[in-house]
Amino acid sequence: MKASLILGLNARTQLFTYRYNSLQGKKIADSKLQTARVLGKTEVTLPKIYKKFKNPEDIEKFDWESLPNSFAVKPSRGLGGEGIIVVKKKIKDGEGWITTQRERVTVDDLKFHVLDILEGAFSMRNEPDVAFIQEYVGRHKAFKKYAYRGTPDIRIIVFNKVPVMAMLRLPTKESGGRANLHQGAVGVGIDIATGITTKAIWHGEQIVYKPGTGKKLRGIKIPNWTLILETAVKAQIASGMGYLGVDIVLHPEKGPMVLELNAQPGLQIQLANMGGLKKRLERVEDLEVRDAEHGVKIAKALFAARFADRVKAEEGIKTVGVWEEVKILGADKKKHTIKAKIDTGAWKTSIDRDMARQLGILDKSNVLWTKIYKSALGKEVRKVVSLTFYLAGTRVSTIANVANRSYLRTPLIIGRKDLKGFLVKAE
Amino acid sequence: MRKIILYLLLIVAFLGFLAKPAYAVVKTSPTASPSASPTFEPTPLPTPVPDLTQKTQETLGPLEKLLEEQKLGPVWPSNPLKHAIRGAVETGVPANTIVLLLLLPLVATIIAAARHLVGLRGFGIFLPAALSVVFVATRPVVGIGLFLIIVTVSTLTRMLLRRLKIKLQYLPRMALILWIVSLSVLGVLFAAPVIRHPDLTNVSIFPILIMALLAEDFIRVQLGKSIKTAINLTTETLILALVSYFFLTLKVVQEFALLNPEWYLLGLLGFDYILGKYVGLRILEIWRFRKLIKA
Repeated sequence: MKASLILGLNARTQLFTYRYNSLQGKKIADSKLQTARVLGKTEVTLPKIYKKFKNPEDIEKFDWESLPNSFAVKPSRGLGGEGIIVVKKKIKDGEGWITTQRERVTVDDLKFHVLDILEGAFSMRNEPDVAFIQEYVGRHKAFKKYAYRGTPDIRIIVFNKVPVMAMLRLPTKESGGRANLHQGAVGVGIDIATGITTKAIWHGEQIVYKPGTGKKLRGIKIPNWTLILETAVKAQIASGMGYLGVDIVLHPEKGPMVLELNAQPGLQIQLANMGGLKKRLERVEDLEVRDAEHGVKIAKALFAARFADRVKAEEGIKTVGVWEEVKILGADKKKHTIKAKIDTGAWKTSIDRDMARQLGILDKSNVLWTKIYKSALGKEVRKVVSLTFYLAGTRVSTIANVANRSYLRTPLIIGRKDLKGFLVKAE
Repeated sequence: MRKIILYLLLIVAFLGFLAKPAYAVVKTSPTASPSASPTFEPTPLPTPVPDLTQKTQETLGPLEKLLEEQKLGPVWPSNPLKHAIRGAVETGVPANTIVLLLLLPLVATIIAAARHLVGLRGFGIFLPAALSVVFVATRPVVGIGLFLIIVTVSTLTRMLLRRLKIKLQYLPRMALILWIVSLSVLGVLFAAPVIRHPDLTNVSIFPILIMALLAEDFIRVQLGKSIKTAINLTTETLILALVSYFFLTLKVVQEFALLNPEWYLLGLLGFDYILGKYVGLRILEIWRFRKLIKA
């Protein structure tokens, strides 16, 4: 991969965060309470906030015994997951609670901790901060085997209403229940199209198994994937920032919840996905995206991981001829067989306008964007749609441009972009 | 912001202080006793004495001599600063001070370039810059020695407090740590009769003050992040300060800045601007993403 496709700190700051994030937006993202206030007005769900502490007097006035058995104490503007105490249950015959790290804390410990937070021990530049007590979000059962004493979260980078890259962050023994990669959590790359994990990194190095176990990190299916992506996009829209990292936890019953926003999300996500972020960001920078659903659709079409390597390993390389019968998934969810030309001279797949209309894939909800194409025939405005077809039994999800092909031999040509893992017999 | 101003004040105060030893040294110098007054032309002192503690005098003499030797054209368009420098030096402003002030933007540029082109972070821009000036004053060996002592002592104190489960609020805890840092530096100074290192006895309050403040930053990073990050940042700061020190004391650079201040300053300005516009990967990022680049 070319180095220019990778996003570095210089480019992140100058090309994206400076340009697309307002100062106001950064203030919202830096403070978890502000984030909760802004997102609370939308349909995005957040963990409940039980209590805020602004002055030391609040600590004494508060009835600590009224708290539920599990909750989290957090600084509003803490950095890197520092200063957070999560308690899981009350000690039955005695004072205090047990934290997720299996330590005991008493009311006095918590009071002291809140005082520390108010003094600014965990905030940026040690400015005085506000502390709050928040609902505890436990582990979803899909992650139970993978996370060590903590709740994993999903970091999604959203740019221009399109979820661009995603990573599952798993707490480890070393990270002490926190999901921050710098503290030793594992980062697992996620295929945007399917929500299935692909690769994993730990301390910047590729790993296959969860540290200390034999559990494969590849192939985990994240439940509610589309909803998670849409939640992330909605949070980005509400925040008013163009380029944002959204951290989402999956509540076992209530579904995806936004935990916090990050105006300068880390770059390690590129290693976890083995992909360049800059390339993806530039790809969606100028698109007109209507809403969250539209943005997610674009993302799924553009950033689907090519499982070609794995397919190759499992099924062997498939050979196709120049003229093939292809099954297209229509809007009615049925497969329609049409004739296609395998065209290694084209990059993108192209479909006939009438055919697309018949199959229902030219509906407004399926159109991703329109683009001016230059070809031998001159300039032409074409619609780009998301398309799923089966070639020689292999499912390919991709994007296709729509053109008038009525005078050509086949209503569909399949370009090189979608021919990875295939051999073309030129007979 | 207040902190930045404080650092600036410290640096300025320190630069002023740097100039003083030149006089002080002249007074104690046995060879210069017949012409003890500092306002005299430096010509009677061109034969340098190979004594390390008299470094300032050594650099002072030749720099002013260089200025004398430089032939100046008309003031405008290309010589306004040269004339201004000449005027200031003739009225008694030490050339040393002017050189250090001229080199300060260079140090800042080096630190900025180290961050944006290489990827070394350090503690911001003022700490490495201040530390490099400290090194000029104390010599790197003593400077690093003091720095390491301060950092070790503050870290040990922090760990001890944690081990003993002494829970203190943040500011009192910082104050306590600075208390111990001050005492240990005092201890080092008390040990001067035993160590008998000439650089150590010449140490003044400003370098120590700057370093004590650096200890606070170090602990703050430790509080927020891991010890590993703190050590990395400290090492990077030291590297940056040493590189800056190297440039600050490099004769060629000093002379170029003093004799061609216009070109030198314009060049730095342009470089700073270009540096701010650079959006490519940093060298350390190329290393960090090497597998991605290979893939």
